[in-house]
Amino acid sequence: MEKVDCIIVGGGLAGLSAAYGLASEGLEVIVIERGDYSGAKNVTGGRLYVSPIRDLYPELWKAAPFERPVTREFVTLMGDGAHTTIELASERFATPAYQSYTVLRARFDQWFADQVMEKGGMVITKNRVDDLLLEGGKVIGIRAGGDDIGADVTIIAEGVLGLLSSKAGLREEPRPQDHALGYKEIIELPPGVIQDRWHLNEGEGAAHLFMGGVTRGLMGGGFLYTNKDSISLGIVVGMEAMRQAPDKVDSYTLLDEFKELPQIKPLVEGGTIVEYSAHAIAEGGIAKVPKLYGDGYLLAGDTAGLSLNALVTVRGMDFAIASGYYAARAVIDAKERDDFTAASLAQYEQSLRSSFVLKDLETARYIPHTIENPRLFTHYPQAVSNLMEQVFTIGPGPSKKLSSTVMGGVRKDFLNLQTLKELYAMRKI
Amino acid sequence: MNILVFVKTNPDLQMIRIKDRQPVMEAIPYKVGDLEKNAVEAAIQLRDAAGGGTITAVCLAEANRRAKETLKEVLAMGADEAVLVTEPALEVADQAAVALVLAKAAEKTGYDLLLFGEGSTDNYTGQVGPRVAEILGVPQIGYARKITGTEGGVQVERSMDEHIEVLEAPFPVAVTVVSEINEPRIPSLMNIMKAGKKPLAEYSLADLGLDATSVVAQKAILSNLAEEQDRKHIMFDGDPAAQAEAFVNALLKEGVLGR
Repeated sequence: MEKVDCIIVGGGLAGLSAAYGLASEGLEVIVIERGDYSGAKNVTGGRLYVSPIRDLYPELWKAAPFERPVTREFVTLMGDGAHTTIELASERFATPAYQSYTVLRARFDQWFADQVMEKGGMVITKNRVDDLLLEGGKVIGIRAGGDDIGADVTIIAEGVLGLLSSKAGLREEPRPQDHALGYKEIIELPPGVIQDRWHLNEGEGAAHLFMGGVTRGLMGGGFLYTNKDSISLGIVVGMEAMRQAPDKVDSYTLLDEFKELPQIKPLVEGGTIVEYSAHAIAEGGIAKVPKLYGDGYLLAGDTAGLSLNALVTVRGMDFAIASGYYAARAVIDAKERDDFTAASLAQYEQSLRSSFVLKDLETARYIPHTIENPRLFTHYPQAVSNLMEQVFTIGPGPSKKLSSTVMGGVRKDFLNLQTLKELYAMRKI
Repeated sequence: MNILVFVKTNPDLQMIRIKDRQPVMEAIPYKVGDLEKNAVEAAIQLRDAAGGGTITAVCLAEANRRAKETLKEVLAMGADEAVLVTEPALEVADQAAVALVLAKAAEKTGYDLLLFGEGSTDNYTGQVGPRVAEILGVPQIGYARKITGTEGGVQVERSMDEHIEVLEAPFPVAVTVVSEINEPRIPSLMNIMKAGKKPLAEYSLADLGLDATSVVAQKAILSNLAEEQDRKHIMFDGDPAAQAEAFVNALLKEGVLGR
């Protein structure tokens, strides 16, 4: 059996990041990717937070094919008849080094794969790994298309569904309860139009999230990110919420309705749909992170459940890249010790625990449970919008004092037992 | 038996969108042309049937095309060696210039059999094979649907419009193949891994005794526009069966169906 230092299953961000680290240190590494090219099967909203990972591969990000740095944040709370948009224009966000960028994965991942190959790593596309090779509970390599290839360590970065790792019993089968469905359209618009619609300077980008009114009250929301000459417009909706919804609705119907909303229509006006894509998103949080290592293997990226929906910030790609980085470090050190047992590879999980990856997931431990509350997507956006509407209303008769208007709204929609209980529960997030 | 098989990196046509009647080429993946894969497969079958010989894949790299990866794919299929000619001046080369460079590469490498696809997946001018044969003064056989090795040469079945022509030729000879000749193999993972270790020579124009002046295009493309057609805006009413029938009838009338 042919043998290499490390086989990486999956040429997405986690796999490529691991490969880049390993190839940079001269290890013989093979990435096996099922798609026609890296990025072919990947979907992001999407925005990549670079700040957390900037120091991991500092040389890489300078030349990366990002779309636009995000300098403006928009959050729209959608109610019936009124919606409230918060627009944050931060000078800090608009000053390099930028904290986050919009990205398109087809372009970004292909570029990343090129960087891996430049370092001497091998990225083999259009090939599917059929099985992990196990020997006495130890992963000793992979089987693909009838070929067996051995490796000291196999890094499994096969994506959110984790088919191989589940089949081999290295993690639990994914459950719909812990996942959301994300899907989006890429709509082409001229750069000038994008900059006008989101109040951007040339080259700058916006992130725009929508809560309430988008998913018929199901757990989820809408998103919009500006790319160079297109926007990514989509919806994230909880799989379990979709399954349990009393009125069944197709996912694409939600997106069609979203685009027809009076708040959205002018934003996409004149655009051409050039792409449609969908993907599962792990939203189980830290509680659903499986054991990340064992004899001869590591789990990284989405396969390891490393993603986080914290309502106004949605992350996963930075975790994927960081987990790939720490996986590579662990393999390099294990090779130095010539010890690829679980005990030796445990270093990987320790690194993740002392890095932002598992710390941020731990901080957000109670978020997945909290956002299961449908009132977050119905009552609250509506209540805020109603209150704002009253504040700005001048009717035919005399107006109330501003403070009375505000207090009236607050008393009506927020100072009731259920809301107080919910707000109290939210202290944990 | 020394087989040279010429491969071109073609843009993945399925990934190309038309915008303002022009193809959008940004971030388009490149791959080995379909007919070139047939040529490579034919070369492998000939070599294996003969029980020996060397297959050298020759590629001319134009701007931005992932020529090395293309060649690795061909090596993974089963070619033994690869030759890559790179030169910035080639960006503007036309078929005549490409043929000249390939002919010089063939001379440098040595050959018995020259194999080409009948045409490339992108432009399909079908010129390069015949031009190379002409420059080298080698007989050429087009539209090959079957190639069999003979003592010191090949027997070729040519796919003609209404009949099949069978020719025999001694080496050296150039053959261009059509898609019906074979089903190109998909390289296995192990062969892809091994391909990285096979020899890959890189030549510049100077290595072939050429310079930038020898590859100046003799022709210029003035306009190349995608076909444009107005939408018909026909609405079909009635029950689904009636709608379907009216729709099919309209397609028949337009000549879209039933040609």
